Amino acid sequence: MKKHSLTILGLSLALVAAFTLASCQAGSASGGKVELSVLYYVDASAPGYANEVKSWDLVKEKTKGIADLKIEELFNEPFHQKTEAYAASGKMPDILYMWPSGRSGTLHSKKLVKDLTPLLGEEYLKAFAPGAIDPKAQAAGYLAELPNGVTATHVFYVNKPVLDKLGLTPATTYEELKAQAPKLKAAGLEVVLMANKDDWVMQSCLFSTVVGRIAGNEFIDAVVAGNAKFTDQPFVDSLKFIQTLYADGVLSKTSLQTGYGEVPGLFAAGKAAYYIDGDWRAGAFLTDPATKTALISPEDQKNILFTVFPTMPGEKSDAPGTSIVVGTGFGISSTVEAGSAKEKAAIEVIKALQSAEVQLIRLESGASFPSRTDVTSDKLEPLSVSRGAFYATTKGSYVLDGVLDPKVFTPLNIGLQEIGLGKTTPEALAAKVQKAFDDWKASM
Amino acid sequence: MATILTKKGEERTAFWVLALPAVLIYLFVMAFPTLVTIWLSLTNYTSGQLFSADTKMDLVWFKHYTRMFGDEYFWMALQNNFAIVAISVLGQIPLGFILAYVLYRKLVVFTGFWQTILYIPVIISTIVVGILWQTIFSPIAGPITAMMRQFIPGWENNLMNDPNLAMFPVLFVLLWMYTGTYLIIFLANLQRIDASIIEAARIDGANEFQVLRRIILPALSGVIVTSAILAISGSLKSFDLIFAMTSGGPAHRTSVLALYMYDNAFRGAPDYGLANAISTFMVVLSFALIAITQWVERKFGGKEE
Repeated sequence: MKKHSLTILGLSLALVAAFTLASCQAGSASGGKVELSVLYYVDASAPGYANEVKSWDLVKEKTKGIADLKIEELFNEPFHQKTEAYAASGKMPDILYMWPSGRSGTLHSKKLVKDLTPLLGEEYLKAFAPGAIDPKAQAAGYLAELPNGVTATHVFYVNKPVLDKLGLTPATTYEELKAQAPKLKAAGLEVVLMANKDDWVMQSCLFSTVVGRIAGNEFIDAVVAGNAKFTDQPFVDSLKFIQTLYADGVLSKTSLQTGYGEVPGLFAAGKAAYYIDGDWRAGAFLTDPATKTALISPEDQKNILFTVFPTMPGEKSDAPGTSIVVGTGFGISSTVEAGSAKEKAAIEVIKALQSAEVQLIRLESGASFPSRTDVTSDKLEPLSVSRGAFYATTKGSYVLDGVLDPKVFTPLNIGLQEIGLGKTTPEALAAKVQKAFDDWKASM
Repeated sequence: MATILTKKGEERTAFWVLALPAVLIYLFVMAFPTLVTIWLSLTNYTSGQLFSADTKMDLVWFKHYTRMFGDEYFWMALQNNFAIVAISVLGQIPLGFILAYVLYRKLVVFTGFWQTILYIPVIISTIVVGILWQTIFSPIAGPITAMMRQFIPGWENNLMNDPNLAMFPVLFVLLWMYTGTYLIIFLANLQRIDASIIEAARIDGANEFQVLRRIILPALSGVIVTSAILAISGSLKSFDLIFAMTSGGPAHRTSVLALYMYDNAFRGAPDYGLANAISTFMVVLSFALIAITQWVERKFGGKEE
């Protein structure tokens, strides 16, 4: 009996050892190729996913013989949760999709990704728009990720046919917009659609623009330098404007329970006259190459205005219309050994991901506007053409989560929801944000 | 004598061979993480591999607990957890029992059909249930909004945006979803009660209420306590349904401790020390509530056969 048990125990140990060895070998290089793990952000259920697959196929083709890519795809909160879990454990994927600040704040503040400038070389980077590769535009203070493009986080989408039916024209001032609200509501429509269920949306897609117009970038610079406070009038007035939007019925409280994935469909279905989101949302309306269908057909896209929020009371005369930040892109984990074959392979993958061909796919699918200067297309749908014109004519202010630490903008994001609920005042929220800023400064 | 000793030795060996794997697994997956959580809640750990010399961390003792107790969102989350405990213990269990009793005593026809209907919510994925009800309550395109607008044009569905009402849809869905679990537990245990005892009681003149009060409830007191423990521990773990339905919003008004912990660990500015302090608090609270339940059962419960 005893002998029998020992045999079983021995066999079990041998099996465990065999599995362990097998899994260790799976992670090593094979056939001259280096295995690279990639954490990628994508909504596999969204229209245009076929373009993502096409991009990665192109990247794999360009790096065949160099890298064997193991791609982990996640979207929205699960992606961010996984990134934070990887960061906490110290076991990072080799290549990461990331933001220049904001939700990737941990990667930047803890320097968990490499500086790409020396790795890619200045010659290679000449193909990119200087603003897109400005190290100061990233929270790490260096080129932590090579961006796909530059992003306007505020766009005011206008559905002209909805307005036409009611005999209205696109509002150019806030007063006009406010005056349209009762008529639109009486027709059973939302005035302005926003997906404020996720707390970052209000701050990123509207409030940053409001601060840019009423307070200006110089005010935020002064706050960061300690020469002004969030409790000063310009910031409080910006918060008051958000409160006014709810009070005037321009923005409905229902937006606080409207999910991010829900809104494009509602806007395309004509449930509202206006819609606020980032420029990236244009991609949701374009033709999906897999199904050849579009939420808004290319013909109807001509009736969608791609513009900025009407003139606000109290805004500066030369105020920028939107808020702009360096776009998302790809970084290399600092755990990848310097000078190793893995690092060399990772650099090639980054180059392939930002090659003119891949950026062209992103441009034509509306995923992002290129950070390279050598990418153009004559196959753009009307909304993408409007988007290109928008960048040429619109100036941008800071996106607050791009210039403030997560410890500061997190209470702001939640506080903006509190204002919507009527549970806090602009003054109280300003004081809370200032306290968070002071605490963060003290902890540095 | 030698034979008895050998037998005892064999029994001891058999006991350890059988128990040791379970003990080791328990220590590895339950006790060890709990101890690490308590330890991390007392440190300023930010990131990095836990058992590496490169990872710097110092003891900050109860700093995270002080912050936690000083945060208004912690109290909101705790209050919501208690609301869920209340709806579970005072809603799901009594309703589950009543429905089981009605089916057991065949007070309705088609008992099999009703049993299936009432149990269906339990077998659907929680995330699916969350998304389903989120769509139903959706303020712009949901069926409730559409239906109400038939009667009151322009009606705004602010049910989940009113800070005082935001939890009610969540509590309703929890009641809808988990009552079936207790229905099955009670039904199974009701079927264990000797039918002849009930029959004898009825012959002796006991009415339906007396049968329930004098025979069935005492016989099920142990099951009720077990159900209460399941309900309490399940309530404190509440996460998935609320995450899918409301994500804890707006402004944390539907958050619970597990979501509050998640927000502090993985969203915005990760704060692992605080997140571990919340976890530790949840474990302590869970033990305390279960101890209270057991005390109540000892004090007022009947004796199970």
